Amino acid sequence: MASEQTEVVLRLAQATRRYGHHAALDQVDLAVAEGEVYALVGRNGAGKSTLAKAAIGALALDAGSVRVLGADPSRDRNVRREIGIAPQEIALYPHLTVAENLDAFAALAGLSRAERPTAVARVMDETVCADRAGERLDHLSGGWQRRANLAAAIVHQPRMLVLDEPTEGLDPETRLILRHLIARLRADRTAILLISHNAEDVVALADRLGVMEAGRLIVEGRPAELMAEAFRGRTELVVRLSAASSSVEGILASRGLAPSDGGLCWSGTVADAVTLAREIEMALLLVDVELLELTVRPPGLDALIDWATASAAQ
Amino acid sequence: MILVMLRVMALSLWRDRIGLVLVFVLPPLVFIVFASVFGSGASGSLDIRAGLVDQVNSADSRRLVDSVQQRLSGRLIRTPDAAALENAIESGRADAGLLVLGDLADAPTPVTVLIHPGRRAAGEILTAQVNAAVGQDLPELMLRREVARLKPILALTPDQVRHVTGAPSGLAPPPPFVAQRILPGGDPLRIYYAGAVSILFLMFTAMQGAMSLIDERRAGLWLRLGLSTGGVAPLLGGRMVWLTALGATQALVLFLVAAVAYNVPLLANLPAWSVTAVSAAAASAGISLALAAACQTREQAQPVSTFIFLILAAIGGSMAPRFLMPEALQTLGWLTPHAWVIEAYQTVLWRGLVNETVAQAWIVLASFAAWGFAAALWIEGRRRL
Repeated sequence: MASEQTEVVLRLAQATRRYGHHAALDQVDLAVAEGEVYALVGRNGAGKSTLAKAAIGALALDAGSVRVLGADPSRDRNVRREIGIAPQEIALYPHLTVAENLDAFAALAGLSRAERPTAVARVMDETVCADRAGERLDHLSGGWQRRANLAAAIVHQPRMLVLDEPTEGLDPETRLILRHLIARLRADRTAILLISHNAEDVVALADRLGVMEAGRLIVEGRPAELMAEAFRGRTELVVRLSAASSSVEGILASRGLAPSDGGLCWSGTVADAVTLAREIEMALLLVDVELLELTVRPPGLDALIDWATASAAQ
Repeated sequence: MILVMLRVMALSLWRDRIGLVLVFVLPPLVFIVFASVFGSGASGSLDIRAGLVDQVNSADSRRLVDSVQQRLSGRLIRTPDAAALENAIESGRADAGLLVLGDLADAPTPVTVLIHPGRRAAGEILTAQVNAAVGQDLPELMLRREVARLKPILALTPDQVRHVTGAPSGLAPPPPFVAQRILPGGDPLRIYYAGAVSILFLMFTAMQGAMSLIDERRAGLWLRLGLSTGGVAPLLGGRMVWLTALGATQALVLFLVAAVAYNVPLLANLPAWSVTAVSAAAASAGISLALAAACQTREQAQPVSTFIFLILAAIGGSMAPRFLMPEALQTLGWLTPHAWVIEAYQTVLWRGLVNETVAQAWIVLASFAAWGFAAALWIEGRRRL
């Protein structure tokens, strides 16, 4: 968290961007300090990617400001060298090998010909993709491509890093490698803006978490504290049915669960989930509706977003 | 940074074998087809197929038919009667028809050439071949016809007529009234089509390359590239240089084929040709980059660019020679880079000149390049923000 001892690397002040009447960013204040991982969560279209673009200077604001290390990244080419981005898509050249891609992006970031071989070797080692250095990107699997995508973002050792869903669709091993890497970057005092839907990533990596809704940053805090405040020891209960039934609606709704997937799935955060689960099981047996899934788990990001949205509306 | 982009794009193309074939093999093939189809006129061998009905079947008519047959390389086909001949022309089995109706020595107009309204050129060619056959291979027949025509005017006696018309059938043909001299400088139509096909493909090749901008935007690459220390200008500049180099190389391959296959004098005019090729490639690159920058998706860019390039190619003379177009279209053609490219290549390679027209063409093409690049920069700059 930003403090007096640490330098704030990224700062958005009242950042606002409108497309017609729609506010993609609405007076967002946000600061990420060196060595801090700030996770940004929210539903699709909440404004996370717009904020990421604004943070790297790729989007003009209608009002407010963005500063990276005190400078405007859309105007200051020196500060752009201090930024790295790993978009959700694989933003690399498919016909080039991993090493060639990394060399190209190192050169574009301003590294000299003499510096590049060392930088490329280091980053391939860090992302554990040295074995595939000579392979063309379009010949690699999704996991290897994503490692290379992250490697290209950090080959020039930026002081600020924007990661958009870095572990999306990865196998557990690769996910672990990338998590370790992000943790190491944080230890090296890199400021990281992490956009993720993955609750495990957020809980494991983020120092702070911000929830976005309709272009606004509606809740901000430490993940564990936010979870505690939002759920107060409650757990999430998920019920999946074989068929939607009006006779079931009353039973589930009365126990605080909300429907989705056309009434086939019901979920909610409840105080005593285990007892409630037994009650629901019995009640469904009486109305002869088949139960496909009954899960009790810690509340996820979706539940947190629901809570934050509801809190902001009050 | 420009060098980095050049390397990235060169490696990408080098590893895209289908792309290489499309860029360097397809244009020369299309040129050879165009040159074979349209260039035969320039070589003087227009191969028409004609139908024949000889209703007279005299010694003179048979000699005439033999002579025409030889001139058409055996493509004179006999038909039973006039109706069958008309039918053959109508159905396309014959391009024109030769109808021998009367005595060649006495009848005022003994031969009729039947012409299809859609293939008038074939009729003109057959008429010319018949006239040439009579003039060159049947001189005594012409003499008889002339004597018969002049007899009343000159008051020739029957003895004088017999003396003149009794000349042996081996009478030497008269010296031609018109002599032909083919000027040096290669084959203009083949040079024309080398230029026309070259600029047509330059546009499509440049557009394919420029559309990688759209792919990069979609893949988030442009976001990452935008963080490069130089910003957008060198990234687009690198692409501009690459597309220009690629286009000039493509033109070189095509003209080398033209030089080998049709003796187009490329090497003798290499410096002026090089400037023309680079200007044409730069103009194509500029226009394509502007179009790619203006389009949001490939789905937009593909049909829009194809439509624009085909219209430019049609008006600019890449599909049919400009001298065959109406005056208004010829004037309109000067608004396209195609017309300037073709004109410059023709002047440089056919006439062997570097004159005011060529200099003007280079300036116009450089302007297309500069305006296109500036527009692409402006659009991408605005999009980025």
